[in-house]
Amino acid sequence: MSWLLTIFAPIIGGLLYGIERKLKARMQSRKGPPIIQPFYDLFKLTDKRPMILHSYHAFMGVMHFVAAWVALSVLFFGGDLLVAIFFHLLSTSLLIVAGYSAKSTYSRIGSTRELIAISALEPVLILTAIAFYLHTGSFEVSKIINSDSTFGASFIGFLALLVVLPGLLKKSPFDAAEAHQEIVGGAEIEFSGIFYEAVYTAKWLDMLFVFTLVFLFGGSNFVLGAVLAVLAFFAVLLVDNSTARVRYSDMVRIVYSVAFTLAAANIILGVMA
Amino acid sequence: MIKEFLKKFRKKSPWLLHYNAGSCNGCDIEILACLAPKYDLERLGVKNTGNPKQSDIFLVTGPVTKRSRERLIELYSQIPEPKVVVACGSCTSTGGVFRGMYNVEDGIDRYIPVDVYVGGCAPHPEQIIDGVAKALGILEQKTKEIEYPKKLMGEITEFEGQTDKTKMAGKI
Repeated sequence: MSWLLTIFAPIIGGLLYGIERKLKARMQSRKGPPIIQPFYDLFKLTDKRPMILHSYHAFMGVMHFVAAWVALSVLFFGGDLLVAIFFHLLSTSLLIVAGYSAKSTYSRIGSTRELIAISALEPVLILTAIAFYLHTGSFEVSKIINSDSTFGASFIGFLALLVVLPGLLKKSPFDAAEAHQEIVGGAEIEFSGIFYEAVYTAKWLDMLFVFTLVFLFGGSNFVLGAVLAVLAFFAVLLVDNSTARVRYSDMVRIVYSVAFTLAAANIILGVMA
Repeated sequence: MIKEFLKKFRKKSPWLLHYNAGSCNGCDIEILACLAPKYDLERLGVKNTGNPKQSDIFLVTGPVTKRSRERLIELYSQIPEPKVVVACGSCTSTGGVFRGMYNVEDGIDRYIPVDVYVGGCAPHPEQIIDGVAKALGILEQKTKEIEYPKKLMGEITEFEGQTDKTKMAGKI
């Protein structure tokens, strides 16, 4: 089961991305692309003439994808939650390194913003993992999904994760790092053809990773986990469609004052209880 | 066989690069209308990327002012092949009402090879969609051979398999 999930992760992620684009279009009363549109994009990108800046830049793009896949596989194989989160962090930092290695203004601005963003977002993720440890007694995903649901016990932690979700998925209001209308994709701007494909696919894997984290709140109650993940998916889309982008400095302020505080309060309450 | 298989997907996910070469914004508004809910080009897989390195269709508006021609060529040579160019609007095709004026070049086909011309000032969204659809047919036939912009100021030379752009713009 874990092998199957890991191998088909890009396909599941692609479908998720397709559903997201369709739903987003329906929310704006457009018809929207077909659900398998991401795979059309994938095949088309394979067919482009390869153009790279330098081999290091392209290699870092591919490693960004590989690290994202490893992070996901750690979750699916029931490994340590902290290891999964650190691989997720590693995957983001590889993209940042790639962005800095290019002699391009937008690429560097994007990388800097991304760096600032993860300095705000990752602490909340780690606090979420600690909350899981407090309520289930283990960082192991295989133990977490076999113990009782932690949703009731760490409801505040769930809210904190909900606040950082748009940032992790690079969606409005926390999409300053990608900012398509402003810095045209940030760190991923210089990738093209088959190497952009790696970055594009890593985006789907990131999405799957984040919603698997939400799913873990259900514990052994898989139905509750699935419901939470679907609700979070809708909430993120709705917020993405109805808010404007905030500045990266405001984003750090909001994430630290709301999400980090909530997550820390959740830990303190968990220790006291 | 794999090549034939992949070719089919070219017209299923064309990504647009829209460049305003000194247009009056009339055509740009019509292009945005194509992407808005009523016509919704995204249902055909079209995405407005704004990034030349990830685009297939180069949608140009405006009669190419002298300042914009360097950028036009720069953007054109950054799009990886296969690519198509759509000249959107009368100005872009021939110079339109600005033809012969001191500050514009008459249309983009002096600088880059154009595949589809869309007339009208400004063209209807239906016309633009029709032009893009025609361009998709051409895109499917194209090979991955490097396409060069026409001569601008200096000679066009090749350097390590890429177009050498240092001499192209020259001094303006």
